[in-house]
Amino acid sequence: MKFESTSALVLDETGTISIAQLVEASGLSEADLQVLVECGALSPRDVRAPQWTFSSHCVVTAREARRLRDDFALDDVHALAIVLRFHERIDALEHELRRLRAML
Amino acid sequence: MKYKDYYATLGVEKNATPEAIKAAYRKLARKYHPDVSKEKGAEAQFKEVGEAYETLKDPEKRAAYDQLGRHAPGDEFRPPPDWQQSFGDTQFSFDDLDLADLFANIAGHSRGGGARARNAPRPGQDFEAAVRLTFDQAFAGTEIEFDMTVAEPDANGMLRRVPRKVKVRIPKGVTDGQKLRVPGKGAKGINGGRDGDLYLDIHVDAHPLYRADGLDLYMELPLAPWEAVLGADVELPTPSGRIALKVPAGTQAGQKLRLAGRGLSRPDGTSGHLYAVAQIVVPTVVDERQRALFGQLKDSSTFNPRAHMS
Repeated sequence: MKFESTSALVLDETGTISIAQLVEASGLSEADLQVLVECGALSPRDVRAPQWTFSSHCVVTAREARRLRDDFALDDVHALAIVLRFHERIDALEHELRRLRAML
Repeated sequence: MKYKDYYATLGVEKNATPEAIKAAYRKLARKYHPDVSKEKGAEAQFKEVGEAYETLKDPEKRAAYDQLGRHAPGDEFRPPPDWQQSFGDTQFSFDDLDLADLFANIAGHSRGGGARARNAPRPGQDFEAAVRLTFDQAFAGTEIEFDMTVAEPDANGMLRRVPRKVKVRIPKGVTDGQKLRVPGKGAKGINGGRDGDLYLDIHVDAHPLYRADGLDLYMELPLAPWEAVLGADVELPTPSGRIALKVPAGTQAGQKLRLAGRGLSRPDGTSGHLYAVAQIVVPTVVDERQRALFGQLKDSSTFNPRAHMS
């Protein structure tokens, strides 16, 4: 039986998505996303634009925020933004550690 | 279908308030969440606790769960005859599903807090999977196949666990830790809702010669002392084939020689560079003649590599 192949899209800085698409992909509400932007956890392409657009990497960040919110039953989106920042920092440090270990 | 006692999992009474359920869940999440716990089996415990909370936090799902009656954990049971009409908005095949499937597919409250209409369209669940690629697969792009077992309506609209094969094209130039999205390859939407997406977490195996930093690649370039001093033409293996590299005279250890555009490249045409990092390697075995030549070099040279230390 033949299966059709589907292309995977890389969620990096090159792609652009609308806030409605980010709501759909992350499961967060638009209001939650606005708070994450205010807290600096998410950055629209142009914060002054009437309709915000984001890099597709923001899908990764926003989904991580949703996962942390659900996993720890966090009510406060401001606190969530801080947890998310720490989490991203840990991820970046772990990634750097793996990279440096690979160089040994 | 096997019964699970969600109240016991969270350690609360059956008549616990929503606040008590949330407090119990938060305590257990802090204890077992894989991000914070190093306890053995914590991840499995967290999954159980999460499954229980997912159902008990939602008033409609909790009511549906309560209507299943109490059974001993692990006991096979079937929901009462009128249960499906009361709570399900799709037909279930109880033999194939587990409790988590059942409650993931019944209409509960939306995230915004409003109740969903029973037949309202609902998006399919997103799936996540980890993908391990070799360096060569990541460099050139590849096609991978997945075998998954998912709960989704069959041809007769009956929800059951079915095997599903998914074939995905991974574009060239993906890097370790990147996330990819495969649109529409999650669970099927319900009542005409959109299909979920499949998210892939990319892990790229280390390569014995190359290491990636974003789109740039780094490799070691071992040079003999005389090659570093005099310069040399060396043949170098790169991921896209062997090339001739001109090493300039006076190359220092640690110096990076850039091979433009020979790093990872993306389908949109952007590409990184390959950096060959010079290493000076000295021979461990030298014969008498070579030892004499090094001696002559020593006697004739005024070079002091430690001049900056004096």
